[in-house]
Amino acid sequence: MLKEAGFVDIEIGTAIDTFGGARGEKNARVFDVYGYPFLAVKPE
Amino acid sequence: MAFEVMVDADTLREQVKEKYRELAENPRGRFHFHTGRPLAARLGYDESLTASFPDSAVESFAGVANPFSLRSLSEGERVVDLGSGGGFDCFVAARQVGPRGHVVGVDMTQEMLVKARGVAAELSLNHVEFREGLIEDLPIEDGWADVVVSNGVINLCADKRRIFSEIQRVLRPGGRLQFADIANGKPVPEAAIRDINLWTD
Repeated sequence: MLKEAGFVDIEIGTAIDTFGGARGEKNARVFDVYGYPFLAVKPE
Repeated sequence: MAFEVMVDADTLREQVKEKYRELAENPRGRFHFHTGRPLAARLGYDESLTASFPDSAVESFAGVANPFSLRSLSEGERVVDLGSGGGFDCFVAARQVGPRGHVVGVDMTQEMLVKARGVAAELSLNHVEFREGLIEDLPIEDGWADVVVSNGVINLCADKRRIFSEIQRVLRPGGRLQFADIANGKPVPEAAIRDINLWTD
């Protein structure tokens, strides 16, 4: 999606178990949902 | 199509607003996500930095990862935070860019804006401001930002194509998008995507 939007040099960081132990954990596990940091650059 | 809008944007926006109004006014309430200082620690934020903020700066934080973990901001940079909520990521950004930089938080929830502005005043952060607006139509001039950050917000918006187009508009050439968000490892059935309650619960 980022590439399609015109960004370059895209990096994706390590997954974080954002919902572990929270009330939303059950739904998160169903779809294997994790949090991620993203970095992307607008071309010069 | 990858960017297809599958839910009603206005209905989703109202549900999100209601959820985050509750988080602003009652940060110790029951939510389906973690909040506040425990969440900031879980996501790997610098604990000494978080500890230096008053509770009011952190208690309504509800991010999903750390947008500063892949790269820190540089002194003097101009930053826009999409969906700034109670302002926690703006306050982190403000410390990184220093007084020669500038941070603008944009949020649609009045209660969050009031809270964030109060904390910025309490911390005497004169280079941080909060503007009311939608991230699909940012109240930011073309090419103003060196960096756009966001945390756990883009996934809550129906029209992601429009948001990324807006980010491209406000970034200067060579500017960076540093955001945190959730992603699913298993495909979500179309019926579930169209169930608007699943977006906010």
